[in-house]
Amino acid sequence: MAGQVGNGNSAQAQRSVEQATLVYMLVGFAVFLLMGLLGLLMRLQHAGWIDLGPRWFYRIMTLHGAGMVAGVLLASLGGVARVIAPRIGLSPRLLWTAFVVYFLGSGLVILATLVGGFAAGWTTTYPLPVRGDWPMSATWGFLLGYTLVAVAFLLWCVAVLFGAVRAFGGLGNALAWPVLFGRKTERPLPTGPELAATVVAIDGVIAVGAGVVYLVPIFAQMLGLVDGFDVLFAKNMLFLFGHTLVNLNIYLAVALVYATLGAYTGRMFKMGFPVALAFNLVIILVLLPYFHHLYQDFVQPWPLHLIGQFGSYAVGVPAFFVTIVGSLGYLYGSQVRWSAPVIFILAGLWGWVAGGVAAVLDGTIAINNVMHNTLWVPAHFHSYYLFGAAGFTWAYLFHTLGGSEGWVTTPAARWLSWLYAIGAGGFVVAFFLSGLQSVPRRYAEHIAAWHPLAQLAVPFVLLLGIAFLGLLFLSLRAIPAAWRAPAPAAGSDD
Amino acid sequence: MLVGVGVVFFVFLLLWTAILWWVATRASVLVPYEGISAVVTRLRRWGTLLIVVVLALAFLLSLPFLPYPSSRAARLGPPQVTVEVTGRMWAWELSQKTIPRGQTVEFVVRAVDVNHGFGIYAPDGRIVTQVQAMPGYTNRLLYRFDEPGTYTIRCLEFCATGHHLMVAEFTVQ
Ligand code: HEM
Ligand SMILES: [Cu+2]
Ligand SMILES: [Cu+2]
Repeated sequence: MAGQVGNGNSAQAQRSVEQATLVYMLVGFAVFLLMGLLGLLMRLQHAGWIDLGPRWFYRIMTLHGAGMVAGVLLASLGGVARVIAPRIGLSPRLLWTAFVVYFLGSGLVILATLVGGFAAGWTTTYPLPVRGDWPMSATWGFLLGYTLVAVAFLLWCVAVLFGAVRAFGGLGNALAWPVLFGRKTERPLPTGPELAATVVAIDGVIAVGAGVVYLVPIFAQMLGLVDGFDVLFAKNMLFLFGHTLVNLNIYLAVALVYATLGAYTGRMFKMGFPVALAFNLVIILVLLPYFHHLYQDFVQPWPLHLIGQFGSYAVGVPAFFVTIVGSLGYLYGSQVRWSAPVIFILAGLWGWVAGGVAAVLDGTIAINNVMHNTLWVPAHFHSYYLFGAAGFTWAYLFHTLGGSEGWVTTPAARWLSWLYAIGAGGFVVAFFLSGLQSVPRRYAEHIAAWHPLAQLAVPFVLLLGIAFLGLLFLSLRAIPAAWRAPAPAAGSDD
Repeated sequence: MLVGVGVVFFVFLLLWTAILWWVATRASVLVPYEGISAVVTRLRRWGTLLIVVVLALAFLLSLPFLPYPSSRAARLGPPQVTVEVTGRMWAWELSQKTIPRGQTVEFVVRAVDVNHGFGIYAPDGRIVTQVQAMPGYTNRLLYRFDEPGTYTIRCLEFCATGHHLMVAEFTVQ
């Protein structure tokens, strides 16, 4: 541990933080498994092997998307909070409050889709939420649910921002500017995860702001206060919120890689110029690519399209020179302790980069014209998410539950992890091929020519499912001990 | 275009898999980090430069192929045929169902209720071009059909229960 920073938690508070964040991760993991089951149902439908009917397909699709995004985010927020709490001093009461709010919001989303019949997709693109063939109460439930989740996320962001500013003595120090500009400082510097968390908190506040601008007019319309508003403006706000939120999740997950890998390679991530530069660039760059969701809205002013293409290209560069090159360097020649977390991180790098390159291709306006809203898009974000955001988070969860020498290093845990990598890999490759075949995304019914690739995907999804059930079984036994005892050293500090 | 994208992507994927495989096999042996960190620094510097150059070139090369009306008109010539398109939950209306081949067509695309996506599929089942249909806005899409046959329109923006049923056809002759 680096020198004691201003307002670290007391031992008792720290224990409570560890329990709260364990609950974040375990609930997130449970949601992930359940939503994965819904994903399997959808792919079975695409394969032509079951018939859910369009109404149920679209409800399931909406719940799967919203639930996955919320569940994985919850787990990553918990993981990162656990890593940064000792020095930034997050209060357990705040974490528990945010959790309850988050939980209530998710409950509303589940009720709105499964009982209320809300099915506007997880993006709820205006004016669809107010023009669908479901009762308005379902729209209320869904959007209020989103509001609560956003409030909980905002609480987390604000707490991290205040904590970091206090702990490091100013925002500039919390953003590692002394490292960036080569200035001397008496103050302790943030570690990689602490810096990443601060960046996520800043952009998180901006994203939630856009979400408010998106939601308030919809609520006003549902209350009869306005007749309607501009769909193009709405879409801009929607994706500034949604795209940014989803992207921020990966930076949280990357922070968890920093916090995990060291325990197995014996090499600790160091705060240095490249890391400081990368994360400071990300603050701006992560806000630009969202325009790529609007390339086919020809009436959007064209300079914004070009900003979108620029942002989509540029945002990957810092990730390359810090996290990818860095992690590979740490792995190489480290006599690594092969274990579930290491395999998840290795597979995570594979899928995260694959998804990133797929996004650069689709982020090219000329190519987007023939790929937009085909299955290429879910293929991209499933690689990015399943391997990256979720996979990295599960690596940290397993590390938390298993230590660097526990069950995670057993042959069973390692085999199951490779099985997961193969299952997830086959699943996303089939998705990419479907995209190249021009199969539209979000179709409840697929024509016969589109069935074979979905049929190919199904066994891989089953493999993925088996791997996760096995890992769940192995990790369950470690939960009581993790609840009682302090966690193994995170391995993130300099 | 789609074939090219597929080739680029899967060639990259193979290379990337090979690199990770190699790093994974080398992760089990011991190499002091001093030696590696020099390589990491060099990779950071030159690898980043390479990526920035490749991306900048790709950016510039892609610009002439923008799908927007002025760019398409520059390549295909000004529109000779105009087709009015309206999307509604859940059907397409086209002002004409036959389109002459080899001429530049302008689709004037509107929506009456929610966002729809006007996606054109060639007879071989691939998307050739698309544009959004948005309430309150008019989007203009230019295209020239050189292959005769039956083209299929599919909705490419989610519009709830009947989204997948928003299919229509036109003939190019
Ligand atoms: C566990 C295995 C998973 C399977 C089998 C699966 C399967 C699917 C399928 C079949 C679709 C519908 C594609 C379409 O027709 O448009 C879909 C959509 C989606 N999935 Fe997954 N998925 C999985 C994991 C994930 C994860 C980890 C995330 C992370 C956030 C995620 C987020 C989404 C989202 C946001 C959508 C879009 C929903 C919408 O269009 O409204 N999925 N998934
Ligand atoms: Cu439609
Ligand atoms: Cu539609």
